Amino acid sequence: MDTYDADGITLERVEEYIWEIPQEGEMNTPARVLASEELLDQIADDKTLQQLKNSTQLPGVQQHAICMPDGHQGYGFPVGGVAGIDAEEGCISPGAVGFDINCGVRMMTTNLSYDDVQGHEEELVESLFANVPSGLGGGGVVESDVETVEEILDRGVEWALDEGHAVEDDLAHCEDEGRRPDADPAVVSQKAKDRGKNQIGSLGSGNHFLEVQRVTDVFREGVADSYGLSADQIVVLIHCGSRGLGHQVCTEYTREVEQAHPELLDQLPDKELAAAPAGSQLAEEYYGAMCAAINYAWVNRQLIMDRTRQVFERVFDRSWEEMEMNLLYDVAHNIAKKEDHEIDGEERELYVHRKGATRAFPAGHEEVPRAYRDVGQPVIIPGSMGAGSYVLRGGESSMETTFGSTAHGAGRTMSRTQAKDEFWGEDVQDELRGQKVYVKAQSGATVAEEAPGVYKDVDEVVRVSDELGIGDTVARTFPVCNIKG
Amino acid sequence: MSFELREHTADVAVAADGKTLDATFGAVADGLAAAMCETIPDDGDRFSFAVQAENREALLYEYLADCIYQRDVRGVLPVENRVVVDRTDDGWQLDASARGVPLGTIDAREVKAVTYSEMRIERDDESWNAYVVFDV
Repeated sequence: MDTYDADGITLERVEEYIWEIPQEGEMNTPARVLASEELLDQIADDKTLQQLKNSTQLPGVQQHAICMPDGHQGYGFPVGGVAGIDAEEGCISPGAVGFDINCGVRMMTTNLSYDDVQGHEEELVESLFANVPSGLGGGGVVESDVETVEEILDRGVEWALDEGHAVEDDLAHCEDEGRRPDADPAVVSQKAKDRGKNQIGSLGSGNHFLEVQRVTDVFREGVADSYGLSADQIVVLIHCGSRGLGHQVCTEYTREVEQAHPELLDQLPDKELAAAPAGSQLAEEYYGAMCAAINYAWVNRQLIMDRTRQVFERVFDRSWEEMEMNLLYDVAHNIAKKEDHEIDGEERELYVHRKGATRAFPAGHEEVPRAYRDVGQPVIIPGSMGAGSYVLRGGESSMETTFGSTAHGAGRTMSRTQAKDEFWGEDVQDELRGQKVYVKAQSGATVAEEAPGVYKDVDEVVRVSDELGIGDTVARTFPVCNIKG
Repeated sequence: MSFELREHTADVAVAADGKTLDATFGAVADGLAAAMCETIPDDGDRFSFAVQAENREALLYEYLADCIYQRDVRGVLPVENRVVVDRTDDGWQLDASARGVPLGTIDAREVKAVTYSEMRIERDDESWNAYVVFDV
């Protein structure tokens, strides 16, 4: 098949797993979808392709807007969308980053084996659920004031280090060492800070979770060794974002951009793509606020990891240092970053928008932490509760194919309303228990909405990423315990 | 006035209608509450807030964004939402009240934000209709 017809949108196969929507009409560039035919059937089933086409109308989009293999319909910009936009002559769009700024994933390794944990699963899941705040109104690991929030926005994980919630090694294994230097707390509103002060160190709900996992497969021994991963090992995966603070930042800047730059909005087919022209005061302010929210999200995940270490200490009666509970890496899924990329033979600074996509820089890239520079940046791809997750490394082709990006998860295929019609939370929990997966959630509805059956086949998503060379498979994990809001 | 939760791959949409703009906006906010909680108890005190905007769509966006903000800072789920919309010299004014059900008394899930994506506010012969996608 050399073309794919999807309800009025025709895609042409450029090469294996790369499909292109040719530039036409108001599009500034072509758009590309990275998918097998099986995944493309699912991607074409909702408004993902139209949203991808729409995103090419953002001024300054370079080469092509891209949909990752796990892409699905979002709001404005598709989830799984990547756009590299000229940072001098283009724009930055809050909606193309998303409300949950720096929603992301971190993985912590341990020296425990699955044998060490078996028999403790129930105690572990109950203790994690009791000690890691989740759900709506569940508070945070720390209750703070606005001054503390401002310090977190400015200093990121350095704040957590000073407060005893982190060690130096945690910073060394986090993107940007846990601090975006461009953060500007002064351009984050009082309302955002008010929402943020009681949620520092909290999962939230929806698809966010904390999962204890066991490594089931290792595909690249040398890289896995560099990441500290081995078969049968216990690891912990934490998925959450910048909570109400980040949501408020996006909400307010979307409105400010709409009011300040109506002429740009008039060029766009979806109001949720509202964008500030590069170089404008509002573009700078949004970038500063977004970077501050990025810092907040890193602290949020750091505090949850710190609390998880304490829970493990109680359950296994030894120190977390003895259990070698070390941060492997922390990746952001919703973000726009100024990055240098080669465009038509010239290096240019771009706002790389990744919404539901993960940075995946290859070996040798100077922004990969020193610990991983020889093997490539770790990429953590959470799957569903029944299918497991993956650790990848940034692939050799990622810079030329995807602005250094790959997928961020399995990607939904079923709406939350349909999921609640088709699944019953307790049944899902019972079925998972049959696979030795212990799940505890604030509400049965959340479990139903996040049932394994609502997601794409994560194995296929990762296979395509690997085949394209944008993210190479390193290891696979499977859940042991899962808590969610 | 009524609302319906509509399907959306990742998020949730609310379709609402009412005889007046006031009733329709209130119904969307009730739909937002329903998207977060299936069973709503009778307790909680009423509270008020107000928003302004330059047009109807922006007013609905600001109103729903403030419902979510009030939820987080007051620690309550805004239900039984009542709204009065007025045209002013330089835009639109909305005065709102809601019963705030303490979050500690319910099993509720978080809606992160209101979006402009696919937002519609339309009037037919008999009613106002609105459609809003929320980020979950």
